[in-house]
Amino acid sequence: MSDVMTPAGSAFEATPARRFTPKPARPAPASTLGLRGWIRQNMFSSAPNALVTLLGLWLVYVFVSAIVSWTLVNAVWEAASRRECLDQVGRGGACWPGVVAWIPNLIYGLYPKDQVWRINLAALVLVAWAIPLWLPRVRSKLAIGLSLVLLFPFFASYMFLGGEKGPVWSALIALGLAAFFWVMATSAAEIATGRSFGRLVVVALGAAGRSDAYRRRLHVAALLVLYVAALAVTASLSLSFVQTRLWGGLFLTVVISGFGIAFSLPAGIVLALGRRSRMPLISLLSTTFIELFRSVPLITILFMFNTMLPLFLPAGVEVNQLVRAIVAVCLFASAYMAEIIRGGLQAIPRGQYEAASAMGLGFWQATGLVIMPQALKIMIPNIVGNFIGLFKDTTLVSIVGLFDLLSMARAVGEDTRWLGLFLEPFFFITMIYFVVCFSMSQYSLNLENRLSAGQRR
Amino acid sequence: MTAPAAATPPPIELIGLNKWFGSFHVLKDIDLRVREGERIVVCGPSGSGKSTLIRCINQLEKNQEGTVRIHGRAYGASARENDAIRRDIGMVFQSFNLFPHLTVLENCTFALTWVKQTPKREAEALAMEFLTRVRIPEQARKFPLQLSGGQQQRVAIARALCVRPRIMLFDEPTSSLDPEMINEVLDTMVELAQSGMTMVVVSHEMGFARKVADRVIFMDQGEIVEEAAPEAFFTAPQFDRTRLFLNQILHG
Repeated sequence: MSDVMTPAGSAFEATPARRFTPKPARPAPASTLGLRGWIRQNMFSSAPNALVTLLGLWLVYVFVSAIVSWTLVNAVWEAASRRECLDQVGRGGACWPGVVAWIPNLIYGLYPKDQVWRINLAALVLVAWAIPLWLPRVRSKLAIGLSLVLLFPFFASYMFLGGEKGPVWSALIALGLAAFFWVMATSAAEIATGRSFGRLVVVALGAAGRSDAYRRRLHVAALLVLYVAALAVTASLSLSFVQTRLWGGLFLTVVISGFGIAFSLPAGIVLALGRRSRMPLISLLSTTFIELFRSVPLITILFMFNTMLPLFLPAGVEVNQLVRAIVAVCLFASAYMAEIIRGGLQAIPRGQYEAASAMGLGFWQATGLVIMPQALKIMIPNIVGNFIGLFKDTTLVSIVGLFDLLSMARAVGEDTRWLGLFLEPFFFITMIYFVVCFSMSQYSLNLENRLSAGQRR
Repeated sequence: MTAPAAATPPPIELIGLNKWFGSFHVLKDIDLRVREGERIVVCGPSGSGKSTLIRCINQLEKNQEGTVRIHGRAYGASARENDAIRRDIGMVFQSFNLFPHLTVLENCTFALTWVKQTPKREAEALAMEFLTRVRIPEQARKFPLQLSGGQQQRVAIARALCVRPRIMLFDEPTSSLDPEMINEVLDTMVELAQSGMTMVVVSHEMGFARKVADRVIFMDQGEIVEEAAPEAFFTAPQFDRTRLFLNQILHG
């Protein structure tokens, strides 16, 4: 069949061909293999290299031993005030009792002690809601993820805020709760039987053989039962009102950055697509929004929202200070996210869109199924980098009078018993920030490796 | 030269096609009519408009003037109608354009699933059938970038065939392949041609043109300069421009 190409073969037949035998491969020299080979090659390959290595090791030793001796060896663990600490070790060791005494405040701010269980419960629900996303046997991951982002906030807001709930607010809270029931039910069903909650209900009621429409009605009825149960639970819940002024510490930091993260990704996708749109008005609006918010420091935006927003609202309408800060952070973060995602979109060759288009896919299908998955994947490091930045940027809300983790740490040293204790709480929150941000970064690396298995360009 | 209009409309009909990129006139008054089962090879120097011409057939490029009719249906009524007409046409690109985030099998079932709503099992069976036809069923679970260029292009052919198009377009399918891989792709195309598919191929593989083409079209500067059956085209080209081109690619 291979006579398709024009010339070849026949012209060479006059002389008999010599046989080509490839040489067998040899192993690499032993001195370059293994740990010893690596150390020799990379750390002691020459005299200056060895010197730099030794100097580096010495610096690491000095630095680490100083930290260990201050935080652990010379540290004071029991004392009633900073005075006692100073009497024991002077400034040579850390004074941890002050931090320990303040841990509840560092984590929950001024949230009433007897109500803290509400935050813990909401956190537990969040974890339980998110865990199925990592379980391989669970298949409804998209629905679970979407419900987490869209409906968990209703439930959480009520848990945190409490107070009176009108009919609309009750309905929304119940929606969040019903979604949680559904996530638990469908995850359990899919893990145990491989069938989703809806299918399981249909099978359990012996309706597997009935018509599609009948089964769909049954499925809807099952969801309604969940919703009614959630409504009942919501009605029986009566939580005391906790003003947002009392929210603070790590809790507040997580609330603000959580909203920012959950909002900025979808908003960024919409803005990035808007900016690339061929419709001039949409493109202009998106570009203006992005450039406006990217050209102004977050701190300025926070100030503007805090002081100027009330001027634009009709008299009597008051927007909560925390809400103002969250809105500012969300808008700021989405402008950045939009540019990251646009970068990802630009890295996808035009041919990908053409191939999808040639198959008869429309714009939205091609974007959603072909372009966006690839763009998001190559942008994972930047997207997570943006999330990490956002988490740390929330420290700026202290400027508009909110008590985030950083402000709470500063408050420790203003407590009369622990007057002047700044270093220890800062060291402690540094560790918290590090653990959170480093976990995000490691997770992003892990995600990258898993998603790009076999797909390297 | 063309057959008189039969009862069934021709698969591809281009009438008075004109296209500009900005102010650059890429296609000038193109008229072309392709019969059912006809295999056409389009060649010409780079920048002659041959790729743009076949991309107008499935409207990846929109022509400003003239009409494109596929099986008698003209483009332009609505975006939905355009997408519907396109589904009769499969296309294979120079740079393969496989979806790197999907496996070979998923690439092949993609259009079946999302455009034709074929059930998964059925789509996979069909995809395996076509992967077998291009002789790489064993690669189905791999990702495109784990395959050689020739294998990727054969996957691209299988992917295009999966939706059972009535017309296949090939835009320089072998131009970005290593020399040793060109034949495996050409062999696949020859088989396809022998099965009676209507094909329009932009290519400089003159061996392929000689073997399977019903008609060879030579383009330059946005015009169809010459069209003829391969025998006549290669042995007795009419225009000086065609002779110069053939001299360059056959003896260059």
